[in-house]
Amino acid sequence: MKQVININFQGRVVPIETTAFEILKNYTDSLSRHFANEEGKEEIINDIESRIGELFQERITKGATCITDDDVNAIINSIGRPEDFEPMDDAQPAAAASSSYQQQSNTTSTGHKRLFRNENDKVLGGVCSGLANYFNIDVVIARIIFVVLLFSGVGFLTYIIMWIAVPSTASAEIGGTRKKLFRDPDEKMIAGVCSGIGNYFGINPWIPRVLFLLPFLSFLSRWGHWGGFWDFGDVIRFTFSPTSLIVYIILWIVIPEAVTTSEKLEMKGEKVDMHSIKNSVMEEMKGVGKKAEKFGKEASGVINEKAKVVAGDVQNFSRRSSGGLGNVIAMIAKIFAYFIIGCVCLGIFGMLIALIVGAVKLYPLKDYLLDGNWQNASAWGTLFFFIIIPFIGILIWLIRKITNTKSNSRMLRLTFISLWIVGWVCIVFFISSIDREFSRKSNLQDQEVNITNPKANKLIVTTSSTLERTSKRNRWSRFESFDEFLDEDTLTIQNIKVGFIKSPDDSFHVRVLKEARGLSRESANANASKIYFNVKQLDSLLVLDDGITINKNDKFRNQNVMVTVYVPVGKQIRVNGDYFRKIYFNSMFNINDYDRDNDFYDDNKWQSGVDYIMKEDGLYTLDGRKADGWNDREDRRRNSKNNRNNTYRYDKIQDSLERRQDSIEKRNQQRVDSIEKRNERVKDSLDNLLEKEKNKLENSNGVILNTDPGNLSANVMPGVMILPDIN
Amino acid sequence: MNIDNTASQMRKGVLEFCILSVIKQGEAYPSDIIDKMKAANFNLLEGTLYPLLTRLKNAEFLTYRWVESNSGPPRKYFSLTEKGAAFYKELEATWNELSNAVKAVTDVDATNNFNNNFNNP
Repeated sequence: MKQVININFQGRVVPIETTAFEILKNYTDSLSRHFANEEGKEEIINDIESRIGELFQERITKGATCITDDDVNAIINSIGRPEDFEPMDDAQPAAAASSSYQQQSNTTSTGHKRLFRNENDKVLGGVCSGLANYFNIDVVIARIIFVVLLFSGVGFLTYIIMWIAVPSTASAEIGGTRKKLFRDPDEKMIAGVCSGIGNYFGINPWIPRVLFLLPFLSFLSRWGHWGGFWDFGDVIRFTFSPTSLIVYIILWIVIPEAVTTSEKLEMKGEKVDMHSIKNSVMEEMKGVGKKAEKFGKEASGVINEKAKVVAGDVQNFSRRSSGGLGNVIAMIAKIFAYFIIGCVCLGIFGMLIALIVGAVKLYPLKDYLLDGNWQNASAWGTLFFFIIIPFIGILIWLIRKITNTKSNSRMLRLTFISLWIVGWVCIVFFISSIDREFSRKSNLQDQEVNITNPKANKLIVTTSSTLERTSKRNRWSRFESFDEFLDEDTLTIQNIKVGFIKSPDDSFHVRVLKEARGLSRESANANASKIYFNVKQLDSLLVLDDGITINKNDKFRNQNVMVTVYVPVGKQIRVNGDYFRKIYFNSMFNINDYDRDNDFYDDNKWQSGVDYIMKEDGLYTLDGRKADGWNDREDRRRNSKNNRNNTYRYDKIQDSLERRQDSIEKRNQQRVDSIEKRNERVKDSLDNLLEKEKNKLENSNGVILNTDPGNLSANVMPGVMILPDIN
Repeated sequence: MNIDNTASQMRKGVLEFCILSVIKQGEAYPSDIIDKMKAANFNLLEGTLYPLLTRLKNAEFLTYRWVESNSGPPRKYFSLTEKGAAFYKELEATWNELSNAVKAVTDVDATNNFNNNFNNP
């Protein structure tokens, strides 16, 4: 049982079996590929097709109900397959008649060449021999170039991509039943790349999927968390670094989607019929442009038009450049363009996620900042329309992409764009209204604090907070970082600046200046006067509140407090180190953040945990250097380091001196020893001599002279007794 | 070198000449040409003929007119142009020369005679 379809063939309705039609289509495709280089190609094919039409007509008039496989095969046999045709061009070697494609890539005649991987002369994938054919160079040279490139790393990827992207000569031959790499639309998650690869290698599509996801997941785990604004760099890295994503996009572009049944069969390596499916050369050429356009449509609603422009350019470019090299360049340009578009897409997506996280994070602060319904409304509007709407839009686009929904997305797109425009209005209104709330600065409000001189000559500034605010190093928990400032109805901001200046008399004074901002000067002053800041003295401890508390009615209007401690000359001052460290990690609200605009504080550079002494011309550290903020600490560190170095160096010198002394003493000792030995030898020889003389005398006189050898030697041989000075 | 290759080269050389001569005998339809060639034991595929005809037509050696047929689409009937006739004349002359030469070279008796005469005058 076979399905019969009606086709309009050369202006005639022909009932034909689907399988026969498939054969016929393959045949005409192979013809148009064969005559691709021929002048008047359309005419030739037209002639042949009308001849086929005539033969069909004959069969039908003879009483056949439809055209069958046999009919088509008989007609094809009578007309001949491209490989049976007589070679017409003198430039074509007749031997190549069996492979018409090789002829084309070999030919130097007019008409542009096509790049094919050469199946007949291949080492790995035939890329090199194909390129050599294409550029008319020796295949050995091409291979050498690739091997050299291989060592630089580029060659490998290039080879793989070309292996995949460049069609094989076998694919152009009639009757080849080679498996082809297609994207599988039936089993796809995103674009069917993985399932296509799975089909091609005959493996479960989840294997390539996992392989694609692994680097991605490991990257995500490295990324670790969704941070706030200050982690934006991570978002960028997250967006750009996973190479698997890039590879996926490239494959998405270069691998065709299996659309027809026969393509799907071919993708799975099943023989379609007597012939495998071949796309004609010319159609493939057009396909580059079409594919680009299609991908452009897929790319996104937001940058849809841009993609089309690019696709159009690519299409024009590929059309204009009739040379094969042009096509290669067009291909590269296309890949590059979509790579950039993909990056932009992901960048936008990552940014939106970061914005949403930031918004959620800042949400508890909303009540302390926003005043009135309008501001609240615009804040919510900004959140929804400016941030969440594009996020949802991209999400919907992705879901539609995955589920392959194809409905009227124009309406949807317009809705989203208009909602986003509302979002823009909201954000402009929101920012301007908030900006206005902060536009006016209050007068400084002065508050004198009575201080008695401490018994010790030192005043230590510390905080009233007994809470141990440990710095949270776990980055996930930074998400709740506002907890430490936020109670149920109060927000504590550590907008406290502390400075020290010389006291006019010989006692400590403390002055607290308060400042805030507001819509008008009056409201700013009102805000400033509402600041409650407590300063207590416990003998040598000056206890400050650890922040300015703000309730939901007062709102945050950059309330800040400047605490000035007047230190008499010769007295010491110190800010408790613990206090400093606690605040240091929340640099957004830094007690140490002295106002650079204010000369008054500029002279008061200090560092917590360092003892200072007040002199006539300002603060000094205890070892006599002028206070210089950060450097005080670093100095300390550097000094201690230097000290250690000096000690070390000194030790070394000492050591070497001692060793030298040792060696000198040793040498002296050796000299002394050798001299003493010589003395002994001389003495021995003298003794011998004396003994001999004695014996002589005894022999001659028979008288034993009882003589003292020392005296004798001294008298007889005075020269020998002159010993070298041992010193 | 193989026999098919050489043979196909030979056929290729005379193919145009044969087709032109068929058409010279009167307006011809491609399948007529095929039939005539077949009758003369010169097998030719339509797939080879059509491009050849198109090429000759593009070179202005041939022209064609559409003739309605009762068994299919209108047919192209080819005929020689003046230029084509002149071209055919040239080809014919070349062919005659060539065939004589080939005959003279391949005719063993004639060659032997010539050689004998040359060596023993």
